[in-house]
Amino acid sequence: MKIFVIDNGGQWTHREWRVLRDIGVDTKIIPNTTPLDEIDADGLVLSGGAPSVGLEVDKMGRNSEYLEKADIPILGICAGHQFMAIFFGGKAGASGIPEFGKATIIVDDEDDLFVGLPRKFEAWLSHNDEVSEVPPDFMVLAHSENCPVQSMKHTKRPVYGLQFHPEVEHTEHGYEIFKNFVRVCEVG
Amino acid sequence: MFDPEEFIEKQTEDLAAEVDGKAIIGVSGGVDSMVAAILMDRAIGKRLFAVYVNNGFMRKNEDAEVAKAFDATGVRYRIVDAGEEFFDSLKGIIDPEEKRKIIGSKFIEVFEREAIDWGAVYLVQGTIAPDWIESGGQLRDTIKSHHNVGGLPSSMKLKLVEPLRDLYKDEVRKVARSLGISVSERQPFPGPALAIRILGEVTPARVEVVREACAIAEEEIEKAAESGKMDVPWQYFAVLLPLKSVGVQGDVRAYGNTVAVRAVESVDGMTANYMRIPHDVLETISVRITNEIKSVNRVVYDITHKPPATIEWE
Repeated sequence: MKIFVIDNGGQWTHREWRVLRDIGVDTKIIPNTTPLDEIDADGLVLSGGAPSVGLEVDKMGRNSEYLEKADIPILGICAGHQFMAIFFGGKAGASGIPEFGKATIIVDDEDDLFVGLPRKFEAWLSHNDEVSEVPPDFMVLAHSENCPVQSMKHTKRPVYGLQFHPEVEHTEHGYEIFKNFVRVCEVG
Repeated sequence: MFDPEEFIEKQTEDLAAEVDGKAIIGVSGGVDSMVAAILMDRAIGKRLFAVYVNNGFMRKNEDAEVAKAFDATGVRYRIVDAGEEFFDSLKGIIDPEEKRKIIGSKFIEVFEREAIDWGAVYLVQGTIAPDWIESGGQLRDTIKSHHNVGGLPSSMKLKLVEPLRDLYKDEVRKVARSLGISVSERQPFPGPALAIRILGEVTPARVEVVREACAIAEEEIEKAAESGKMDVPWQYFAVLLPLKSVGVQGDVRAYGNTVAVRAVESVDGMTANYMRIPHDVLETISVRITNEIKSVNRVVYDITHKPPATIEWE
């Protein structure tokens, strides 16, 4: 199983690599300028990035190419998730109340990512922006008190977004969320 | 899963192949640089020389502890007393990034002198993942310039070797335990040392205040942990703030310094929560700091997670 991490410049990009490695996935971090035809993987994680990178298209390299053309599962995290919303026709912008540190995630639909998890758990976040309008063909999987879209999913493709960070040690059940994503990649 | 034995074997082989001349290693007495030193010792043996720089901002008894740890390893080392140089270079500096960069380049100046003495062409550092992640570059924002990454001058001639670049502290500790290193559980301590626990200008008098406050916080927390009142935090220390407040000490108005105490729990330093340490422990720390350090009349406890704060204040 090969899942690569697309580096959008996040503080926790390397953590995503570490968690994937720890659960037995063959993984590496690659620049977000890597052409899709040079990527030989079973799944992709689009990492988070520096402030507002989700809204600054030029800094997001070839993320749109991956979202448009890759026929493998994709998990967008934070900036990756926000960029995904914009790419598919939704909206992202400044959060009314940004979240830093701990917040409670409330699962609305366990779908694939939250299988086997409690309906409420503590996660760690660090974002100034958020998805304000879910794209057509997407459904919301989770929210928090101050952020209506903590997770979303494409209804026709294995493409997922997370606003919170499953890769950091302080997030509960983070490793399980990655394992659930690996299962999606196994199915293909 | 990370396998420390496998890591040790592979790194020792790789380092032996990569480093074909003499090398010096910058050490602090902490677990990262100690692990790097032992790996290098295994890889190149007597071609390695360790340099510990006392920059004038070290904690109480630090020199003696570092010497003791190194004596047990058989690695050749030297303690360089460079306090005056460092103090001079920080005169009038209050910006935390400027402080970190000046300290980083001062370290390199000392290492370059030592390298000439030893005939070294390589500089080994115990850099770990959070150091280069937080130092930023290209897409990644600079959170703080770690002295061993963001503080490196571009003119540096020594070839850099960083065997722990992809590891986090919890993984380094696993390697340290596997190597039988005595400092494997030592709490993290930043390279710029107490200089970044003094908000505002770094002067010998202010270093003395924060050194004493850190010693009291460490002592009381360790005592409480030993007696089973609490776990040992990931990191615990005191910070001298650049503000004064009014107090009353011995029926006399006081206008004194404020010290912040911080204790956090973490696994890898990339996220952290403030620790709910028992109030009686905080009380003892507060009473001791205000009674034993003349210029301090107020103590506060930092209740911020990372993010949004970082663990250290600068």
